[in-house]
Amino acid sequence: MSEPVVEFRHISMQFPGVLANDDISLTVNKGEVFALVGENGAGKSTLMNLLYGIYTPTGGEIYIRGRRVERYNPKYAIDQGVGMVHQHFMLVPSFTAAQNIVMRKEPKKLGLFYDNAEAIRQTRALVEEYGLEVDPTEKVADLSVGLQQRVEILKALYRGADILILDEPTAVLTPQETDELFAVLRRIVAEKQMTVILITHKLGEVMAISDRVGVMRKGRLVNVKNTSEVDQRQIASMMVGRPVLYEALEKTGTPGELRIEVAHLRCLDERGLPAVRDLSLSVRSGEVLGIAAVEGNGQSELIEAIAGMQHIESGSVKICGKDVTNRSPAEIRAAGLAHVPEDRLATGLSAEASVGENLLTGRQREKRFRKAFDFLDRSSVARYAGELYERFDIRGAGVDAAAGDMSGGNMQKVVIAREFNFDTPVLIIAQPTRGVDVGAIEFIHSRIIEKRNAGCAILLCSADLDEVFRLSDRIVTIYEGRVTGEFVTDQVTREEVGYYMTGAREVAQ
Amino acid sequence: MSERMQQRLRYLAFLVISILLAFGIGAIVLAVTDHEPLAAYKAMFQGAFSAPRHIGDVLEYAMVLALCGLACDLGSRVGIFNVGGEGQLLLGAIVACQVGVWLKGSPTWLVMVLAALAAIVVGGVYAFIPGVLKVKVKVNEVITTIMLNTVAALLCSYLVKGPWQSSSKYVTAGTEKLNAQYWFGGLIKGSKLSTAIFAAAVIAFFIWYVMQRTSRGYEMKLIGQNPRFARFSGLRNDTVVILCMTISGAICGLVGMFRVYGAEHIFKSGISNDYYFEGLMVAMIARYQPLTTILLSLFFAALKIGAEGMQASAGVSNHIYLIIQTIIIFFMAAESGIFTAIENRRMQKAARRAALARREGGTDNE
Repeated sequence: MSEPVVEFRHISMQFPGVLANDDISLTVNKGEVFALVGENGAGKSTLMNLLYGIYTPTGGEIYIRGRRVERYNPKYAIDQGVGMVHQHFMLVPSFTAAQNIVMRKEPKKLGLFYDNAEAIRQTRALVEEYGLEVDPTEKVADLSVGLQQRVEILKALYRGADILILDEPTAVLTPQETDELFAVLRRIVAEKQMTVILITHKLGEVMAISDRVGVMRKGRLVNVKNTSEVDQRQIASMMVGRPVLYEALEKTGTPGELRIEVAHLRCLDERGLPAVRDLSLSVRSGEVLGIAAVEGNGQSELIEAIAGMQHIESGSVKICGKDVTNRSPAEIRAAGLAHVPEDRLATGLSAEASVGENLLTGRQREKRFRKAFDFLDRSSVARYAGELYERFDIRGAGVDAAAGDMSGGNMQKVVIAREFNFDTPVLIIAQPTRGVDVGAIEFIHSRIIEKRNAGCAILLCSADLDEVFRLSDRIVTIYEGRVTGEFVTDQVTREEVGYYMTGAREVAQ
Repeated sequence: MSERMQQRLRYLAFLVISILLAFGIGAIVLAVTDHEPLAAYKAMFQGAFSAPRHIGDVLEYAMVLALCGLACDLGSRVGIFNVGGEGQLLLGAIVACQVGVWLKGSPTWLVMVLAALAAIVVGGVYAFIPGVLKVKVKVNEVITTIMLNTVAALLCSYLVKGPWQSSSKYVTAGTEKLNAQYWFGGLIKGSKLSTAIFAAAVIAFFIWYVMQRTSRGYEMKLIGQNPRFARFSGLRNDTVVILCMTISGAICGLVGMFRVYGAEHIFKSGISNDYYFEGLMVAMIARYQPLTTILLSLFFAALKIGAEGMQASAGVSNHIYLIIQTIIIFFMAAESGIFTAIENRRMQKAARRAALARREGGTDNE
């Protein structure tokens, strides 16, 4: 009989305007991997943050090993054996792995002085005990993302955690790193009887590693199942609350002339360090070129450089044959480019402006909206916006509501509706479905393929490798600002692409 | 639409409450300082409205407040805060006045047009400088404009005591008096109100129209709300920001010309007593909305002129005006914070109640 470790009893969490957790009761058992899935905003992270003591629930109670949680703060939670690895790591980059791991519970000489040798020794012991290979003396800044994650896990273990919460741990990992992480998790669960709670929205991972799965939707826990009794499609349907159909995307036509030509591009990042190094690529009409890269390898700078949002040090960019190197976004758009940026709130729209105004942007000087004396005809704008709103299946409080009040998925649809409707010969799309719910992903994917089939040249960049594989005709891998490989999608596996993404393999150019 | 209506109503409600509270606190201050609050407020009302010439003065001051406030609105709409209107106003006034002095004997229309142009150019250039510094080298415009205010004030005081000083022995620090033929015509005897108010009305309408009704006004709003998005969408942010700042300065310069040619007919230090800053406060209270700025200008002008009348008739210091104005600003600034706090508490209570109700109704037994 399984032994309960964590019990949520009637937990509710009210944020201003949002009931993030709504009367949740759930028991997690010792020695199991429990996957918590749900769309963005379903309340998974909130529930785990309550367990880790970051928030105090507005209703209900949590029991850890049968004892009621008295105070909601992380220190208390850590003392109770709860460890959490956040999506964004909480590490000091200039410290070594060992220094990060022992932080706040440092070994002391004479009870007074920090003992680095002892810290390294203890870290080594931990590494050996759990099989999480990390060099304790290496600076965290010099470690790969996958290794930084191990440091985070070791940090939790050092503090004595036996309930480990992982918040979307694989979002930043390559396929190989994901496999290694799962191997480690399996081992610590089997050998150390630890409990792992995994927040994720990748259903493949749920099937691969979890014993049980809890599905959340709109703040409620709608279902808890043994993973062996359900399949991916059933989980997806529970997440959205209706059947999810994965339609095959039909790609037609053949690539035509060159539309995007990037040659020997070099750019610097915000800190003035090289981000894009001598990068060349090209996209033809009627094809999707997907960029596969681990976050922070220069792909964001590349995309912004093409769109005129980032200074180019050397090299050139041509759109539809026209040289647009270091031109303004206005000129590049005039040359035939539309752009769905990776960060919709910072770049893709104005949160304060209404949905209608956001849909209009870029067309405000067109004759149909602009009458004599520069008068902006609000009724034609409303008509136009209403039409796009319908066509792109945007769901919210209408075109007059502020764009910032909508859900992430609907904001993204607003950006996509506006940019796709420019009917440009070239489209750059970065992270098209980041933070977008399962139902809307399908919709966005089929719009992208529709554009491709209509002859648009599309450059796609996504942190989701499955998405890159699903949409792209060709894939380039980028590592540290350089193209490390180029593949035809049907002729390569995810694992192989993974090697090139980490620079482990490279095709000489 | 209803959400926007709701926001407007909420703003209006808070404005009215703030004003009432401000008058209430003002009454306490009056009572503590041995004045009869009701009598003082009555004197204030009479000071603003009891005679046509008072009403004329209210309108003249409202004109100054409204144009200064609108100049501020224009900058803040594109994300640049013009705190330098006072300097732009002073320089516009003194240069416009000196144009009239130099061109004495020329046709009226020529002098007035040239004076207005000179004021516009001087005010505009004086705002253009911090505008360019902000856009090109990211120098904070609040600091530069405040410092340029001091430069302008010192330059004016040098000019009126030096090269441009009046030859009349009755004027110690001022320019020559303008020839009466160049004045804007008076509208109400005994008041400072002049035909300049018609020009001001046209300008105010124009600014409102551009900001609220045109596609350019829409572009300005986008730049102010999210400059990165505006640039991404193909707008020329830098040019628009510099242009708006320059126009903002030009309007302030023109207000200076109106003050000289409409009200004072001479440049002296009293041409503006931080009038721009009062206009700026009106703009802040109006949340930089042009129409609200204009309407609130009328209210605050009546308050100020009334306070001056009250000082004369009831012997109460007109500083009570400043007290009331700043308290209103204080409450308006606190509005969003207070409102969110109330809303949060309301929702947390609702959540607790809902959770409790469910538990009592549920089958689960503890």
